[in-house]
Amino acid sequence: MVNLTIDGKQVTVSKTATIYEAAKEAGIHIPVLCYAKKLLPYGACRVCLVEVEQMKGRLIPSCTTPVSEGMVVTTTSDEINKVRKTVLEFLLVNHVVDCPVCDKGGECDLQDLTYEFEVVTNRFEGEKFDLPTDEVNPLIERNMNRCVLCGKCVRVCDEIVGYGSYSFINRGFETKIATAYDRGLNCEFCGQCLSMCPVGALLPRPFKFKARPWQLKEVDSVCGYCGNGCTVTLGVLNKKVETIRFNDKIGVNDGNLCIRGRFGYSYVNHEDRLTMPLVRKDGELVETDWDEALQVVADGLSKAQKGLGVGIISGARLTNEELFVLKKVARTLGTENLDHSGGECYKSVTEGLKETLGVAASTATFPQIEKADVVLAIRSDFYETHPVVGMVVNQAIRRNGAKLLVIADKRGKLDKLPGARTLLSKPGLELDVLNAMAKVLIDEGLAQTEGIEGLAELKTALTDFDPAQVAERSGVDFELLQTAARQLAGAKNVAILMAYGLPYQGFNKELATAAANLALLAGIPGRAGSGLYLCGEKANSQGAIDLGILPQGNGLGAQLMLSAAAEGKLDALYVVAEDPLSSYPDRDKVAKSLEKVPFLVVQDLFLSPTAQQADVVLPAASFAEKDGTFTNAERRIQRVRQGIPTPGKARTDGAIFAAVAGKLGNSLSFTGPAAIFAEIGKEVPAYAEFDFNEIGPQGVVWGGETLQPVSHKVVNAGAGKTVEADFKLVTGSALYHSGTVSTRAKGPIAVLPEPYVELSREDAKGLKVVDGDLVKVNGNGVELQLKVKVGNRLPKGVLFVPYHFAEAQVNRLYKGEAVIAVKVSK
Amino acid sequence: MFKEFAKGLSITFKHLLPGHSTTVQYPTVKLKPSDRFRGLHRLVPSQDREKCVACYLCPTVCPAKCITVESAENEKGEKYPKVYTIDLLRCIFCGYCVEACPVEAIEMTGVYEMANYKREDFQFTKQRLLK
Repeated sequence: MVNLTIDGKQVTVSKTATIYEAAKEAGIHIPVLCYAKKLLPYGACRVCLVEVEQMKGRLIPSCTTPVSEGMVVTTTSDEINKVRKTVLEFLLVNHVVDCPVCDKGGECDLQDLTYEFEVVTNRFEGEKFDLPTDEVNPLIERNMNRCVLCGKCVRVCDEIVGYGSYSFINRGFETKIATAYDRGLNCEFCGQCLSMCPVGALLPRPFKFKARPWQLKEVDSVCGYCGNGCTVTLGVLNKKVETIRFNDKIGVNDGNLCIRGRFGYSYVNHEDRLTMPLVRKDGELVETDWDEALQVVADGLSKAQKGLGVGIISGARLTNEELFVLKKVARTLGTENLDHSGGECYKSVTEGLKETLGVAASTATFPQIEKADVVLAIRSDFYETHPVVGMVVNQAIRRNGAKLLVIADKRGKLDKLPGARTLLSKPGLELDVLNAMAKVLIDEGLAQTEGIEGLAELKTALTDFDPAQVAERSGVDFELLQTAARQLAGAKNVAILMAYGLPYQGFNKELATAAANLALLAGIPGRAGSGLYLCGEKANSQGAIDLGILPQGNGLGAQLMLSAAAEGKLDALYVVAEDPLSSYPDRDKVAKSLEKVPFLVVQDLFLSPTAQQADVVLPAASFAEKDGTFTNAERRIQRVRQGIPTPGKARTDGAIFAAVAGKLGNSLSFTGPAAIFAEIGKEVPAYAEFDFNEIGPQGVVWGGETLQPVSHKVVNAGAGKTVEADFKLVTGSALYHSGTVSTRAKGPIAVLPEPYVELSREDAKGLKVVDGDLVKVNGNGVELQLKVKVGNRLPKGVLFVPYHFAEAQVNRLYKGEAVIAVKVSK
Repeated sequence: MFKEFAKGLSITFKHLLPGHSTTVQYPTVKLKPSDRFRGLHRLVPSQDREKCVACYLCPTVCPAKCITVESAENEKGEKYPKVYTIDLLRCIFCGYCVEACPVEAIEMTGVYEMANYKREDFQFTKQRLLK
């Protein structure tokens, strides 16, 4: 600790603090332009100049100067103000003062400082820039005439996102921020740069000229896309979400968002949203009122329950409270067939982790990843499914020198991070690589064996996974495999990351088991600072598991329900917030079951392909329209708040469930989400310690920062399997989308509007195709025609197809396997 | 004393003579208000559009909250008011909107005859304000 005096105030701060940080801690305001809490000190703007007794003769930039013992700092004096005013005058020499038409007006740092220092005239004259604005990309408007060269965008894109879109070019007065070759922006479009820009040089295009910042009502909620649980602050004007506001004060994401979080909100305002209940009459879906629709649902479901039974399939984007009420509905009906999100996809957590560690959740929290020494990511798509966790990994590497290891069948964003090493295996054989790493640990005596059950069985099972042989058959570099295992065992803090979701079903449970084995052998679970992270694809995947939206008793899971329906062994299906026809594997099976099932109820935001088949369609609410809680992938329970009313007659899922239960004769009366949350605590012990109204801005983590595993048992995970074919197809998530709902959001769809098949340059050359050509992809007896996208990510012979687009019908080809042998022709 | 009385009355009688009255025969005769009079608003046109850039300062400053602005982007990529309406029934003619305008796009004219029969007729849209 260091003692210093700022404006006569005694301050004690850590020795790594800068003068600016020390002053901020002491509540003393120093104006800044180029400083940002999450970025490294830079000192570009010279607005934060202060006087230091010991360094008399010149003014010192407070944001870059570290504190030292006995420093005496003055932050304001006539001289300092004069210099600051001059700095502002210099900045205003070529800043176009178009505040009336600039969307930043009202929250512009330069505007505020100009006002604060009363810069009403300028002693200097210079030419205003007249640079063209970047009109090419659909999301981020770049107007370099307004730029003050603080470099925040350059730094955030490099330090946090790890993309490096921007840099300074030219010199002197001509200096400007530009992309490579000064072309239009073509990047991840996460929009971190525009959240950092202190002036109006970078602005969100979808929000262009929509409103002034002071008109917006700000509502803090949680993003409804992936399981990371980023805080999003909705900017609401006239009952419409107009934009997502920058907020680095609360939440787990430190103000960082991905393209979906920042630009994917617009589906809530979509004109195709369902506003009225629909009931099928004479083969047509016709609008009706709630009373009739609910009566038809209740009659249909109770009749079916008396017959062959009802199956309930839910999505994982409902709040905990809604899922709880859904469970009550299932109980009222008397059905045990209850499941969520595909059934197979979350088995990694519910079965893989449960068998080994005895818990069904990630064992540590995200902030710990930043402190990790070694990060192991299984499947490179981790960045694509959970971009903001990927940014945390990037910071672990850059700030703390963490080593990143990736086990994947293709290269992705993670592979590009500094020092990242990818164990590139053939698709389907990642499991073998993990097993081989476990074998290295055991053979070299690096493994922690104390208190581990089942070690002898695992040793026998691992005889088939000799590292050299695995390296040979999977294509992974042998030495790298060994080094990776050794690094894992030798490091103090380790984070093992794996994502699960609908497009990643092949060897899901096995991969998680193998990862847990490896984690146990390296002593990771339960060790403070280390953790095994299994991250759900949807906003409340973890909540759905915690609340047990799983087959009850002898009930059927989602896949079995669909099979049963296809065979005519189920009389009704109640599908909530899911579009199985578009997103579940094996479309033909799903189509058959939806066709065969006598009574189908769909509750969703849009008239999805599944909803078009339904007998009753109930219009539901999006995440921006309801109150409640989501539990993110690190077990953090966070508040979701209502920003806007539901469109038309649509109701929240919770209200619909309560009404359905009412019609079924069980009048569930809850006074609101707080009451339901208290009720959840009675059934889910982990939730019992929290009070709904006391969930603070950072949320609450059940089970503590480090979750102690219940058991330490290694289990044989089995072997992976690849296919022998010229072309192997894998499905997955594309960075710009999440699930199928993002294809209704303007932002993501503007960047990635259509389905595609991605292939390597070599394959493209071999097939004589270029970007945008159509190819026929033939596999599993199905032929799809897809547009080609040529990329550097994939090794030769591997194809990648994102699963988000309903119209591509990728799931006709994908039946839940890890890798599909396909033929490709022009 | 009579002299003063007569003098006083003569002034009174003088005012009774034609041409000495201060009363104006409104509506046949209309006075021109002072240049600083705060009457009906007018949006100032420029060459091909209104001067207004939809910066939202006037609805923000308006104490009676009678101005509605909705901005949009035109073909040239400029910001313009798609909607600009003043509800004159609520307007208190304080002139703050004129004062706040950074581009001198709104001014107040000498028009003071604004009586009308229907409430809707007091909604002055952009087209009416541009006249």
